[in-house]
Amino acid sequence: MTKQDNINNVQEPIINAPAEVRQIIERVWQLEKSRLDKKSLSHINDDILAIVKEAVQ
Amino acid sequence: MKLTSIRLCNFRSFYGKTPEITLAVGDVCNTTMIHGNNGAGKTSLLNAFTWVLYEKFSAAFASIEQLVNKRAIAEAKTGTPIECWVEIAWEHEGKRYRVKRQCRAYKNGSDCNISKTELLMQISGDDGRWYFPPQQPEEVIGQILPASLHQYFFFDGERIEEIVRSDKKAEIAEATKIFLGVEVINRSIRHLAEAKKSLENELKIIGNSEVRKLLKEQGKIELEIEKIKKRQTERIQELNYQQTFKKDTSARLQELSAAKELQSRRENLEKQKVYYQNQLRQTKEVIKKAISGRGYSVLLPELTAKFREIVTQSKQRGDLNSGISREFIDNLLKSGSCICGADLSTESHSCENVKTWLEKAGSSSVEEMVIRMSSQADEIDKQGIVFWEDIDREQARITRLRKNLSEIEAELDSIQEKLRKDPSEEIRSLQKRFDDIEKYITELTLEQGANQQQIANYNKELEILTKQVTKQKLNEEKQALAQRRIIATQDAIDRLTEVKLRQEKQFRLQLEKRVKEIFSEISFTPYIPKISEKYELTLVENTAGLEMPVAASTGENQILSLSFISSIIDRVREWSAKKMLMLTDSSTFPIVMDSPFGSLDEVYRRHIAKIVPSLANQLIILVTKTQWRGEVETEIAPRIGKEYVLIYYSSKPDCEQDYIELGGDRYPLVKQSPNEFEYTEIIEVDRDF
Repeated sequence: MTKQDNINNVQEPIINAPAEVRQIIERVWQLEKSRLDKKSLSHINDDILAIVKEAVQ
Repeated sequence: MKLTSIRLCNFRSFYGKTPEITLAVGDVCNTTMIHGNNGAGKTSLLNAFTWVLYEKFSAAFASIEQLVNKRAIAEAKTGTPIECWVEIAWEHEGKRYRVKRQCRAYKNGSDCNISKTELLMQISGDDGRWYFPPQQPEEVIGQILPASLHQYFFFDGERIEEIVRSDKKAEIAEATKIFLGVEVINRSIRHLAEAKKSLENELKIIGNSEVRKLLKEQGKIELEIEKIKKRQTERIQELNYQQTFKKDTSARLQELSAAKELQSRRENLEKQKVYYQNQLRQTKEVIKKAISGRGYSVLLPELTAKFREIVTQSKQRGDLNSGISREFIDNLLKSGSCICGADLSTESHSCENVKTWLEKAGSSSVEEMVIRMSSQADEIDKQGIVFWEDIDREQARITRLRKNLSEIEAELDSIQEKLRKDPSEEIRSLQKRFDDIEKYITELTLEQGANQQQIANYNKELEILTKQVTKQKLNEEKQALAQRRIIATQDAIDRLTEVKLRQEKQFRLQLEKRVKEIFSEISFTPYIPKISEKYELTLVENTAGLEMPVAASTGENQILSLSFISSIIDRVREWSAKKMLMLTDSSTFPIVMDSPFGSLDEVYRRHIAKIVPSLANQLIILVTKTQWRGEVETEIAPRIGKEYVLIYYSSKPDCEQDYIELGGDRYPLVKQSPNEFEYTEIIEVDRDF
């Protein structure tokens, strides 16, 4: 396996995830990213729960 | 992110508003050079970038409380606000951004109060229309170039080796992890695990309070019923036993000659009693049946009377005249001739005559129906009478049976009384036992009834509970959904963990590889850069197959740090393009460097000058005249897109003036201030690019 393959392989668990799981991962990731520089870090649990509940219905 | 311009107003040494400093954005000519002597405001300019974007300052930036230009403060009247701001513009993914951070200073005697800073942002899309973003400006900036990473893009070259200083390593490693997206994955995993816990608690709540409670209740009632049924069986057995006992006692009494007659009479009477009781029960049953089956008939005479009244009235009115029927006349008119043979064709005289009968004649079908219904009404009336007769008969029977029963009971009582008072003690005691058994049987019978009642009640409750449990089936669906959510969340956690593992290894190795490449391109030492698992950067030496840490010089560390930053930018640019989970989706990065060639030797300066413009997409370099020496100029000049000089106006009476030669022209670096204030002016170099 070349290095190129390896680096593409990094994302494989997300790419091959069931649609709902992939949606959870991507949305939680975006949420965490947007919060990275924020000072107040409250209520993320509610946001993540909302993401999971929306993805799995 | 491509920075397009910056403008300052009363920011540190910059008095008043500077002209807009346009920055180079070309692909080849991507470098903006800013020349200035020590103290001219190079560090202030670097910090103008970090202040406007992040409200942060570099380590070398002293006295941050003196943000507002001193001359502006000195010239201001007490109470009048002095504006201090920096405005920066950039382009990012097809949009243009304009951000202004401002604060106001208020002179108060010798003091000066500075207000809180305010950040304003405007964005313009393809259509060129400017609008305010719906998010907070800080948030927008954070998404383009996170604050935690600003030290990679805006740095003081003379202090850059801090990146590899041991006391800064952890901090830098942390920032690197953030930049590479590792931290976001870590947080995602941690917070998903917390969310999973919440989901599990939700499931517990659904399961517990609803179904479990009901099922528990159900179980309790079922247990109660079981208990009562068991008791009931015991009572029945006991009752049977007592009956046998009673029979035995009777038999014994009969054996005794003195009691024999009385006892056999008693048995006879009891048999009769049972017979009459049965008769009574049957009779009551008959009445019940009669009431439920025919009881309604007694309520009907009122209706039949009304019916007869209607019929009588109709007859009186002639509606129900017998004789010729309407149907008969209709037939005659239809056939066109009378039974006498007279012509009944339309408009004939006879036809008109016959027609007049239509009104007088009743309908034969209505009449028929009235006759049939009348006979039914008679039948109904008869039914009511029969019903009452039957009931009266059964009631009479009941009275008779009751009378018989009471006679039997009276006789039984007298027999018992006789036996109770019998001179024979044996007979008396047997009678007593008999009485006791009777009493007990009555008790048992009563209890049996009560138990039956209770079982019936419990069964009713069970029925209600079962209905409620069925209702909870819906809840079960909810539970299944909660389960699925928990599983999906765990799956997301597992996958992210796996990605994190793969990423940690791959990113670190690739980053290390790139650092090595860049470092070896610049440095002539045999040292090898290493990135530890914790993302800490070190320089090692390979002596006889053994890796040993190097006590590197400031110069080496500066090169290492620059290589590191360049590598990170280089890698992130590539990985972002591959749509990896990177912190920034941007693949264009600017670098603003203050004095990057500080204490380096000529060879290093040349290498760095050659490499750096090709690593970042955009470069803004702030240099002194001495740093801008031949080899740097030679290497960088072809990449310059914009060039500026910071003119320092010194308030020192006999200050030494200084100049710099750029593109064949002389530009002042230090000039005498026309007043008592020192300040900086920025002018553009007119080089023939």
